[in-house]
Amino acid sequence: MEQQEEVPPPPAGLGLTAEEYAQVRATVEAHHRYAVGPGQCSSLLAQRIHAPPAAVWAVVRRFDCPQVYKHFIRSCVLRPDPHHDDNGNDLRPGRLREVSVISGLPASTSTERLDLLDDAHRVFGFTITGGEHRLRNYRSVTTVSQLDEICTLVLESYIVDVPDGNTEDDTRLFADTVIRLNLQKLKSVSEANANAAAAAAAPPPPPPAAAE
Amino acid sequence: MSMAEVCCDSAVVVGAEAEARARARAGRRRRAGVEGAGRWNATATAAGVAAEEAATRKRRASGGEAGLVVVAKRHGAASVAGRRREMEDAVSLREAFAAPANGEVAAARCDFYGVFDGHGCSHVADACRERMHELVAEEMGAGSPAAAAREPASWTETMERSFARMDAEVIAGCRAESGSCRCEGQKCDHVGSTAVVAVVEESRVVVANCGDSRAVLCRGGAPVQLSSDHKPDRPDELERIEAAGGRVIFWEGARVLGVLAMSRSIGDAYLKPYVTAVPEVTVTGRSDFDECLILASDGLWDVVSNEAACEVAQSCLRRGRQRWCAEAAAVLTKLALARRSSDNISVVVVDLRRGNAL
Repeated sequence: MEQQEEVPPPPAGLGLTAEEYAQVRATVEAHHRYAVGPGQCSSLLAQRIHAPPAAVWAVVRRFDCPQVYKHFIRSCVLRPDPHHDDNGNDLRPGRLREVSVISGLPASTSTERLDLLDDAHRVFGFTITGGEHRLRNYRSVTTVSQLDEICTLVLESYIVDVPDGNTEDDTRLFADTVIRLNLQKLKSVSEANANAAAAAAAPPPPPPAAAE
Repeated sequence: MSMAEVCCDSAVVVGAEAEARARARAGRRRRAGVEGAGRWNATATAAGVAAEEAATRKRRASGGEAGLVVVAKRHGAASVAGRRREMEDAVSLREAFAAPANGEVAAARCDFYGVFDGHGCSHVADACRERMHELVAEEMGAGSPAAAAREPASWTETMERSFARMDAEVIAGCRAESGSCRCEGQKCDHVGSTAVVAVVEESRVVVANCGDSRAVLCRGGAPVQLSSDHKPDRPDELERIEAAGGRVIFWEGARVLGVLAMSRSIGDAYLKPYVTAVPEVTVTGRSDFDECLILASDGLWDVVSNEAACEVAQSCLRRGRQRWCAEAAAVLTKLALARRSSDNISVVVVDLRRGNAL
C-alpha cells in the first residue's frame, strides 16, 4: 500500500486548523515566504471572514482607498501616474500612494508602492518606500482564499528591517498589533457589505394569496 | 529671559466674553446686589461655554490655526492646535455644575474643570467635554453624604464610576452632538483621550486623572502636583500592563504594544485591558496660600516645568488685573508655542484665592 504523505501542522500562533492550513498551503508557499536576512524579521497573520471571497477581495484590492479597512489612516492620496495620463485611477504595479497617519502613533506619513494586484489569484502586495516612521524596507503580501462557499481566509505577511535599538520581538509586536486590528476591521466591513448585498439581492416576498 | 516677558497683550478675547465683561461693568456701576452678581456669573459662564463651542466649530470649519481663549472671573482657558495638524483637545468649564445637596449652602463653591487631549480623532475628547461633568454630577448625587462631608475614598469611587461610564459611552459609539469628525458613524476602537478633571469645592480640590495631562496647584508660588502622568514606563504602570499580558516597547518613546504613548485613557478599546480608564484621584485641602490650579495637556507640560508654570501664573497675578487667570492661560500657551511644543496645547487656570467669591 502506498505510504500516506504526512500533512505538516499549521504554524503555531496562526490560529488555523490542520484542515484549513492544508487548503491554503500552496498559497503560503507561493506568496508568504521570505528570505529573512540578519537584522530583519517576518510574520504571517490569518483572519477568517464569513463572507464570499469576492466581497473580501473587493475591499483588499483598493490600493487607492486603504482607509476602508485599515485603522490609523487619516487620508490617502494616489500620486499621479506620469505614464498613463488617460486613466489616472487605474491601479497597476508601480503606482504610489501617500498615506497620512492619525495622531497619537509613532508615525505621521507613509509612502507606499503597489507591487502586486492579481485579480485572478486574489494576491495584493505593497512596499513602503518612504515616509516618517520606523518601518524600513517593509514589504507585505495579502492573499484572499476560499475556505468554503461563504467563508474566506485572508492571510497577510510581511518582512521588515528591525530598527536600531529594538528587537525582532519588539518589531513583530508593533507590526502585528496594527495588522491584527486592520484584519478585524476588514472582517467587519466585508461581512457588512456581504449582508447588504444579500439583502439587496433577495427577491421581494410573494404577494399574499387572494382569499377564495 | 523671564517667563513674564512673553507678550500677552495680544491675547484674543472671544467677542461674547467681551460683551459679558461690559455688562458686568455696567452692572457694578448700577450698584447691583448679590442677585445681580449671580446673574452676571451665570451669563458669563453661559457666554464662555457658548463662545467656546462657537469658536471650536468655527476653527474646525475653517481649518485655521487660530486659538481659543475663554475669560471668566474665577478661571480662564486657552487652547491652540499648535504644530499638530488638527485640534483634538477639548476643555470643559462648568461652574456650579452640581446641585447642592439638602441642607448645603447654595452659594458653596462646586465647580468642574476638565482638559481632554484626544488622539486618533477628536470625537472622544469632544464627548468627554460634553458628558464628563454630567456623569460626575450624577455620581455625586448617587452617594448620600453631602459633598462637603464626603470622604476621600468616596470621591475615589465617584470618579472611578464616572470615568468608567464615560469610557463605556465612547466605546459604545455615543457621539458628541457637536461632533463633526470624519469617522462618520464607524466604530472607532483606535480613538481615545486623556482626561484630567478637577472639582473645586469651598474647602478642597478633587482631581481625577487618566492619561498624561496634568493638574498642578500653585501654593505660595511653588507647585504642588495633584496628578501623576500615566506613562507606560512608570514602574507601577509597566508592572500592571505586563501582569495583564501586555508589553511596553520603546518605539519613539515607551508605548503600549509599541503603539500608544500613555498607559491610561478614555476609549482606545483595542488596547484594553492594558490601557485602562481607571483614574487616579487626589483630594487636597485648600489653603489661604493657594493662588491657582492649572490643568493642561502634555502639549504644555512637555516643554514647561511645573515651576515655570507657577512662576508665570504668579507673575500674571501680581500684575493686578482682574482677569489674570485668562491672561496666565494665554501666556502659558504662547510660551509652549515659543518652545516649539509639537502637540495641541490646552490650559485651564482656576483662581483659588480665598475671598474671591462673587
